[in-house]
This record gives sequence, C-alpha cells and structure tokens, in this order.
Amino acid sequence: MTSAGTAGLADHAFLRGMPAELVALLADAAAPISVPAGYRLFDEGTPAENCWLLTAGQVALDLPMPGRPNLIVETIGSGDVIGFSWLSPPHEWQFGAQVLEPAAAFELDGPAVQALCDDHPDLGYQLALRMLAAAVRRLQATRIRLLDLYGPPGGGDAG
Amino acid sequence: MTVETLPARYRIASRAAETHDTVTLGLEPVDQPIGPHLPGQFTMLYAFGVGEVPISISGPAGPGLVQTIRSVGAVTQALCEADPGQVIGVRGPYGTDWGVADAAGRDLVVVAGGIGLAPLRGALLAALAARDMYRRVVVLIGARSPDELVFAGELEAWRAGGADVLVTVDRATAGWTGHVGVVTQLIGRAQLDPAAALVLVCGPEVMMRLTARALCEHGLPPGNIRVSLERNMRCGTAECGHCQLGPLLLCRDGPVVSYTRAAPLLSVQEL
Repeated sequence: MTSAGTAGLADHAFLRGMPAELVALLADAAAPISVPAGYRLFDEGTPAENCWLLTAGQVALDLPMPGRPNLIVETIGSGDVIGFSWLSPPHEWQFGAQVLEPAAAFELDGPAVQALCDDHPDLGYQLALRMLAAAVRRLQATRIRLLDLYGPPGGGDAG
Repeated sequence: MTVETLPARYRIASRAAETHDTVTLGLEPVDQPIGPHLPGQFTMLYAFGVGEVPISISGPAGPGLVQTIRSVGAVTQALCEADPGQVIGVRGPYGTDWGVADAAGRDLVVVAGGIGLAPLRGALLAALAARDMYRRVVVLIGARSPDELVFAGELEAWRAGGADVLVTVDRATAGWTGHVGVVTQLIGRAQLDPAAALVLVCGPEVMMRLTARALCEHGLPPGNIRVSLERNMRCGTAECGHCQLGPLLLCRDGPVVSYTRAAPLLSVQEL
C-alpha cells in the first residue's frame, strides 16, 4: 500500500459541491492510498474504522463461503464510496472487500472524521447528506436486482 | 392472404446454445428469401403446427438470417428445440431499425439487458464493420448471472474490433471477477460524452425505463436515446392492432422508438 498527498480530494464525486473549507478540514483525516489487485481492504466481522473514496480501480464487496470462493455481493468503482459500517454500532464490517483491479482511493479515518464532525456540525451535515445519498443509490440498485428483471417472464401469453 | 403475410420456408443451418434456455439459429432460405433487413427489425417465425412468434434479428445483413430465441412458451420452445435441417416459416422483416448510421461521427453506445443484447448485436456488428465512422463504440451489458450472458463467446472479438465492453451481472457465481450490480451503474463507469452519443437500449421494459432515466441524469438528451419496445405482435403489417401502444402500432412504428416518443407511453397503466 502506498500513499501521497490529499490533492484532488475536493474533485472526488462524493465530495462535489462541498464548501472548500470543509474539504480542507476533512483532508486532515484523509490519506490517499494505492492498493494492488487481491488486496483486502477489510473482512466481515472485523472492526470498521475507515471508509474509502475510490478514485480508480474496482473493489468487490463479498461474503466468505466456507469451502468455496467468496461470493461477490456487489462491485464498487471509481467515484463511489466504500464502507458504511464505521458510522453505526456495532462498528463491524458486515461484508468483506477485496480489490479486483489495482485501486486508488482516499482513505478516511473513521474516528478522526467523527471527531471532526463533533467539532464542526456543518461538516457532519454535509457528510451525512452524502452518505445517505450513497446508501439510497445502493438500496435502489439492490431493489432493482431483487426484481430479477432478466429472469423467466411470468404470466402473460408468452409464445 | 397477401404475399407479404405468407411465410417463406427457411432451413435451420446452424443451432448454437447461448444459455440453458436461449439458442441462436442460423437460417437459410429454401425458396425465395424474405426482403433485406436492417439491425433492429424483427421477423415472425413459424414453427409449423405449433404457432408463430415475433423474434428480433440478431445477425448482420445478408441473405441468411440469424435469430436468437429464448424458450418462454410453446412456440419458442419448439423453435429452440428444432434441429439443423428442420424447416420453419419466416415472415418479414418488419418494423423500424436502430438507425446505426445516425451515430456517424459521434459515439455509439448500446445498453443491453438480458436477451435484449440479441436485437442490438446486429447494430453492433454493423458499427464494428465500419468502425472508422464512429468515435467510441461502447457496449454496456447487464445479465442475470455469468451463465445467462448471451454471446459471451463474442465479447473479446468485439473488444478487439474496437468496442469498449463492460458487463455486469445481478448475481455473481464462483470465478466471476467482473462487475456485480445493475446495468445503470455502468453508465457512470463508461464515462460517456452526453453531448455526442447516440444510445440504443434494449431489455426488459423496466430496465429500459430506468436506463433511459439514468442516461438523462447523465445529461443525454432524450432524443439521443432509442429503445426497442415489444407488445403482442401478430400480423406484422399494422392491420390487426394487437401490438398497439397508445398511438403506435409497434410492428410498424416500432420496435425501435425514440425515447422522446416512448417516455410518456411507458408509465401509463393499461395503455
């Protein structure tokens, strides 16, 4: 894992539109990282203390299947955020995350971000809005998948 | 019965299983072939003694026909189970085409869901055959699972031919290392140029509606989005009215329709 400065943090789609002074505050809790394919960002059941704003590559959220390869739940790409479990109890990862394609991201230190939000409620509000929007997008996509749109057509007079 | 509504006899020259319930048939005329076809049009395929169904043409222009069929009922099951050498009936070609050449000088983007890739395959092959006419050629595919991805064996050839191909599945299986999620999530990853793209969309109607909405959110003008609509096509000649969707008779005015025209029709109950 390698890291450099936080230049470009304000350009990430997740933070688009956030006032510059709030991005500057957040930069204190952010570090850019680069990770190779195969690297595991986190594992199910371990403490959730970070989240990542992906700037390149692809990451799979997965579940371990004893005796079989991990089951991929969803893939996350550039411009997306990875990691919601650090926000709420029990602060444990509900899934795992493995890098599929060499990835770059801004890694946010969860406890540091929460401390910043306690001290700067306007930053907390802006982050909460963005996390909610990301969670809603993820929920809507999941609902569409539940529809099983490509499954066998039901009813009607299919020929 | 006019000549236009009489089926021509075609012999099944080849049969390739795409998935557990979908096959691609190569058809050669026994007598006089039907007229020339364009990508996006459909034919009525007749399994003698069973019935007739509308099926999109999935191959390039030529004397023969390539048609991809999913077994969803008695007629399609009979067609899917037909062996090479067997003779079936063909009427058509019917309906509007994708108008692929309208994307000349711009980006051509095809977005397919499930077997919706079949009607788009002809458009894609036409674009790759004249690759220099277009800027980017982008293919976004959503499938139920890796096992249910049609034309899976052709994806590398499409990439080699100059297309950017992204595939996502609703459910991953062991060994799958590609995208997992809905096809609309690929739109952002494809980094489309909304000002210079013609987008062709085909799949289940809900998928097309959500895709068109996502494209519009990315800045695509609705007029640069085309969808392929399907109703109960019977005659193919705009006489029986079974395929009516509001003011459209889809066997004549469709299946390919501008999203500008389709959008207000896709959210009306009982239309």
